[in-house]
Amino acid sequence: MLRIEGVSRRYGNTTVLDSVSLALDAGSVTAVVGENGAGKTTLIKSVVGLIKFEGTITVGGVDVARKGKDTRRMIGYLPQIPAFHGDLSVRETALLYAALKRVEGPAAHKRIEQVGLGDHVDKKVAALSGGMRQRLGLAIALLADPPLLILDEPAASLDTRARLELRELVKDQRGAGKAILLSTHWIEDVPYIADHALVLDHGKAAFQGPALALAASGVTGSRLFLRLNGSSPDAIHVLESTSVASDITRSGDWIILTCVAADKARVVEALVRAGVHILDFRVEEASIDASALKVHAADGARQ
Amino acid sequence: MNAIVIVARKELRDAIRSRWLIAFAITFAALALVISRVQSDSGGLGEQGFNRTTAGLINLCLLLVPLLSLILGAGAISGERERGTLATLLSQPITSTELLLGKYLGLTVAVWGALAAGFGGAGLLVSLVEPFTDIGHYLFFVVLSAALACAMLSAGLFVSVLSDNRAKALGAAILLWFFLVLAYDLGAIALALAVASSGRALTAVAVLNPVEAIRIIAVMSLEPDLEILGPLGAYLTERLGTAKAATLLGGAVAAWTVAPLAAAAYFLRNQDA
Repeated sequence: MLRIEGVSRRYGNTTVLDSVSLALDAGSVTAVVGENGAGKTTLIKSVVGLIKFEGTITVGGVDVARKGKDTRRMIGYLPQIPAFHGDLSVRETALLYAALKRVEGPAAHKRIEQVGLGDHVDKKVAALSGGMRQRLGLAIALLADPPLLILDEPAASLDTRARLELRELVKDQRGAGKAILLSTHWIEDVPYIADHALVLDHGKAAFQGPALALAASGVTGSRLFLRLNGSSPDAIHVLESTSVASDITRSGDWIILTCVAADKARVVEALVRAGVHILDFRVEEASIDASALKVHAADGARQ
Repeated sequence: MNAIVIVARKELRDAIRSRWLIAFAITFAALALVISRVQSDSGGLGEQGFNRTTAGLINLCLLLVPLLSLILGAGAISGERERGTLATLLSQPITSTELLLGKYLGLTVAVWGALAAGFGGAGLLVSLVEPFTDIGHYLFFVVLSAALACAMLSAGLFVSVLSDNRAKALGAAILLWFFLVLAYDLGAIALALAVASSGRALTAVAVLNPVEAIRIIAVMSLEPDLEILGPLGAYLTERLGTAKAATLLGGAVAAWTVAPLAAAAYFLRNQDA
């Protein structure tokens, strides 16, 4: 469905995307992961035809650079920060984009209902919250039931419940045979939401492979903050005895540690089993050890 | 429905909702009524009434129509860019040229609507008060105003495409208006005479400014008097004759409509959204 071959983008002397290639088939999800400025949005905007690039991108066999309008008929795009005309109502916005996508009005209303904005159709877009605007963006991306969905940080403005709903939606769309390319900085979501992962580091592909392999590679890390009920020494001992926690430090009532993003639950489980009472906990955004990824990619290339 | 028409309809609806356009329609009507009233007080309307009203309106409209059109055009793309909606629109099945043409079409219809409502309403009111026999010149003047709006909207859109944000675009549009409407006459004629007082230089000065071209056509249509026509108009009519001069100037206005729009389309196509 989507083929990206040797795509690069430079701004003056700065290369923000360096010869990235990717293939995405119908019924599969690829997550583009990376720190801010890694090139995720540049890649996605290139696919949508919003920016110029070197290399080749085809959607359904049609060249994006030559026939952008035709390729965009096959794409449902949700930008990182959906921007709509604030003076239009939700209904008017949906109808405007439905007309551009040649979708009938009732179908547009159905999409609005589907994303939970049915009670807000007469509300001006300017009055919508960030999350509601994200939902409106999603409804518009889904309007024409396109075979390729491109979601740029779709969970960025969503609360936990909405993120879980988004996971379900992505799962449903994949089940319906859609090809989905999404970018995210929620690394822990990747194994649940995607089949494949592409990690970008300074515009270069640092990892490309199955999402589960990325999670298992141990290069994704989360910082865990745990507030315990006066049993810190025991807890530290328990944590040290597990193989999943590292960099364990204590700060007042809190214990801070680092673990692989996918192992957070195992850390908590170990403490609960040891009878440690957890009063509170907090997770800091997961990060990627890009240098480790480069090694991983090199290993992959040798295999 | 065609993407151009969809964008044009949205642009027209936005313009109708905007108070700017209504304010300009009322201003146009008020100007026409006040000037016709002044003419009436100084000798009655009747046969020459509309002719004199038209003559009185020309200079005011040569100020207002370019200002309105340049400002509306300048805000069209830069405003979308500033709000982030330009990328949203261009991520749909529409080309940047279709978006630009849709905006141009919508704004043109909106400005024509304001001109028709303002001058048309005023003309109707005046004709109810006193019968007239010379409405042709008045209508031709409204058509010329509409043509000037086309050229200035095109220039406004060009400025808009090249501007990062709305404030810059509006600033550039007002500068352009100042140059074309207020500074051009003196500056360009002086320059033409200084560099080369040849006929070609004078002709170039006339066709390089659509406001000047429209002014000369309007005055020529009323009474081709050498004094009222000004140095450029007088030169053109004397050298080419009224018909050829009008064709040349009309062509210049058409070129001013097409060229900035084509350039805007080119630059927008090659920009990142």
